[in-house]
Amino acid sequence: MSRVATPAARLWPAALARTLLAVVGGYAFTYSAVAALARLLPGEPVDVVISATLVSFLIYTLYVLWAFAVPLRRALLSLLVIPPLALIGFWPNLFAGAA
Amino acid sequence: MAKQASVTQSMSGLHTWAGLIVGWLLFAIFLTGTLAVFDKELNWWMQPELHDTGLDQVSAVRVAESWLRERNPDASAWNIGLPTERGPSLSVSSGEQRRGQRTQLDADSGEVVVPRETLGGNFFFHFHYTLHMPRSIGIWVVGFAAMAMLVAIISGVIIHKKIFKDFFTFRPAKGQRSWLDGHNASAVLLLPFHLMITYTGLAIFFLIYMPAATDVLYGGDREALFSELRPGNEQQVERAGRAGEGGRAPRAEVPAAQMLPLEQFIGRGEAYYGEDMLGSLSVSNPDRANARVEVRPVMGTRLELTKGESLVFNAITGEVVGAPQPTRTTLLTQKVMAGLHFAQFGGYAMRWIYFLCGLISCAMIASGLVLYTVKRRRQVKSDTRWLRQAEWLNVAVIGGLMFACTALLWGNRMLPANMAERELWELRVFFGGWLLALVHARLRAPLRAWAEQLTLIALLLLAMPVLDMLLAPKALDGLRLSVDASAAAMGLILGWAAWRVVCQPQAVKKTAGETKKIRTSRTGVTS
Amino acid sequence: MSVSLFVAVFVVAYSGMLACCLGMERHWKKRASRLPTSWRRYCRPLGVLLLALAAYLAMQLWPLAMAWVAWLGLISLSGLGLLFLLPYAPRLALSLPVLAVVLLVIGAIWV
Repeated sequence: MSRVATPAARLWPAALARTLLAVVGGYAFTYSAVAALARLLPGEPVDVVISATLVSFLIYTLYVLWAFAVPLRRALLSLLVIPPLALIGFWPNLFAGAA
Repeated sequence: MAKQASVTQSMSGLHTWAGLIVGWLLFAIFLTGTLAVFDKELNWWMQPELHDTGLDQVSAVRVAESWLRERNPDASAWNIGLPTERGPSLSVSSGEQRRGQRTQLDADSGEVVVPRETLGGNFFFHFHYTLHMPRSIGIWVVGFAAMAMLVAIISGVIIHKKIFKDFFTFRPAKGQRSWLDGHNASAVLLLPFHLMITYTGLAIFFLIYMPAATDVLYGGDREALFSELRPGNEQQVERAGRAGEGGRAPRAEVPAAQMLPLEQFIGRGEAYYGEDMLGSLSVSNPDRANARVEVRPVMGTRLELTKGESLVFNAITGEVVGAPQPTRTTLLTQKVMAGLHFAQFGGYAMRWIYFLCGLISCAMIASGLVLYTVKRRRQVKSDTRWLRQAEWLNVAVIGGLMFACTALLWGNRMLPANMAERELWELRVFFGGWLLALVHARLRAPLRAWAEQLTLIALLLLAMPVLDMLLAPKALDGLRLSVDASAAAMGLILGWAAWRVVCQPQAVKKTAGETKKIRTSRTGVTS
Repeated sequence: MSVSLFVAVFVVAYSGMLACCLGMERHWKKRASRLPTSWRRYCRPLGVLLLALAAYLAMQLWPLAMAWVAWLGLISLSGLGLLFLLPYAPRLALSLPVLAVVLLVIGAIWV
C-alpha cells in the first residue's frame, strides 16, 4: 500500500517500462520458449510445431501477468532467459549455417 | 500481507489499462463478430431480389446442370452453389475460380436473377478479424487485442475477490456498485465463453502470430509445413484433377463421355455428410472421360472446422475417388478450436447461443469501459481531461459502431438497387455514419450523447420491419422476417436503455454519484 | 431440431442454476426465508443434479461434443438470466421453472 503515495509523474516511467517489458519482452520470451519447445518436444515435426505454437498464447499471457505481479527488477532479469532458450531452439540451424 | 496487496493492486492496474486501451477495439471486434454469427442470413437479407423457391437440392442441381450445359458446355469446370437452410439461393459459375463471379439462378424457372451489389453480412465477418484494414495488418491488430483480452480476463479473475460469493449478485440502482456487479457477473458467468472465444480466435492464425516453431523446424517455410499436413490421398486426387484440366492433356484430346446425372451425387453426398449438409457441388472437365464431381459440405457438419473439405467422385462411373482423411490429432485440436470459434455447427439453436453469448461479451466490455468513467468521476482528484476523452470515446465507439451497423442495414435498403459502385456506397454509409456519431459524441455532453444515440439506434432498429415491408415487400420470407424481428428486438432493448437515460433528466444536473444510477440500468439492459 | 426439447434443456439448466443460487446463504435468506431452513442444504445437490440432467437432455439434441458446448453456453446464459431477473422480477425468477413445466405439459398435450 506504500506505493499509493507515489506521485503520478514518477509512476509513469515505471509503468511504461513494465508495459514495454510485458508486450515486447513477453513476445520475445514466448518466441524463444516456443522455439525451445519445438526442439525439445518429441514427435513428428508437424505435430510438434502445432502443439508448441498452440500453447504459445498461454505462455505469453502468463508471462504478461507475471511481469506485472513481480518487482520490476526481477521482471527485467527474466530477459536473461531469452538467449539460452533461443539457443536451444536454434542451435542446429546456427550450427549448420556455420558449418 | 503488504506483498499480497500490491499484487492485487498491480493486477488491478493491468486490468484497467489493458482493458481501457484495447477495450474500444475489443468492442468493435466482438460486436461485428457477434453479428457475423448470422453472416449468411444477413447476406440473404441484403439481397432482397433473391427468392426462396423452396426447391430441394436435387431439383436445383437438375436446373443448374441443364443451364450450365446449355451455356458453358466447354468450360473447364462447373460450380453450383446449392440452396441451403441459411441461404436458399441457387448460384452457378464456370471456370477455375470457385470464388469468382457467380450467377444467381431462379431455381424454378432457371432464369438469371441479378441481385443488388452489397457488402452483405460478409462485411461484418471481414471487419471482425481485419477491422477493415489490409488483411496482413488487421489480423495483427486484432491478435494484439485478443492477447490483451486474455490478459484482462485472467487479471480480472485475480482481482475479483468474491468470485463465488457474488456469483448471483446484482444490485441495481446503486451507482458504481451496480456497474461493477453487472461487469463482474457478465464476466464470471460467461467466463468459459470469454476464454474459449478469445483463445480459439488466436488459434485460427496461430502460425502467423507465433512463427517460432515453424522457424526452428521448417526454416520459416509455412508452405512446407502445410504440404506435409495435407493428407497424401487428397493431394493425389488434386494433382490428377489438375493434370486433366490443364498442362499435360489438353481438354480437346480427352474424349467426350456421358456423365451420370449430377443430381445423383446429392444423395450420395448426403449419405456421407448427413441430410441437408451439402453446400456446393462442382464438376471438373464436364462431359469428358476424366470428369470429376466434387461435393462439398456446408461448414459445421462437426465441431472441427471443415473448410475446403470435399468428397470426390468419378463422374462417369460414380465411384468415389477421394474422401476426406481423418485429421491427425494435433491438427484436429487446432481445427476443433477454429471450429469452436466459427460456430458453424449445431444448427440454429447453437447459433443463437453463440449470438447471445457474444452480445453479453459486448455488454461486458462496454460495461467495463463505462465503469472506468463512472469510477473516475467519483475520484475528485482524477485527471478530468483524460476522463472527458474516455467519456466521449465510449459513446463514439459503443454507440457509434451500433449506429454504423444499423446505418449499413438501412443503407442497403435505401440506396438504389442498380446504383453504380453500390458496395462502395454502402461502405461510405457505414463509415460516414460512424464519423457522424463520433462528431456528435464529441460535441454533446456525455449523458445527452448517450441518450440521443441510443434513441436514434433504437428507433432505426424498431423501424426495420416497416422499412423492409415498404421497400422490399415481395422479398419477405421466414429468414428475412427473422432478421427484421431480431433487429426490432434489439431495438426494444436499446430503447429501454435510452428511456432509462432520458427519463431521469434531473440526474444530469445532479452530482456524478446520481448520474450513475441511470447508466446502471443501461448495463442491465445491454447485458 | 425439436424446439420443445431445446426449451426443456434451457428450463432445466435454469432450474439447476436457481437451485444452486438458493443454496447460497445470502440468497436463501433473501428469497426463500419462509421455507424451512433445513431445505437449504438440499438445494445445491438438487442444482447439480438438474445441471447434469440438462447435459443429458442436450445430448439428445446434439452429438456429444456439441452437446457440451451447448450445455456450457446454456447454463451460462440461464445463470445470467437468473441474475438479472432476481432483482427486477424476483417472483418470476422463482416461479419460472414451474411456469415453464406447465407450459411444456400443455404444449405436449396440445401437440
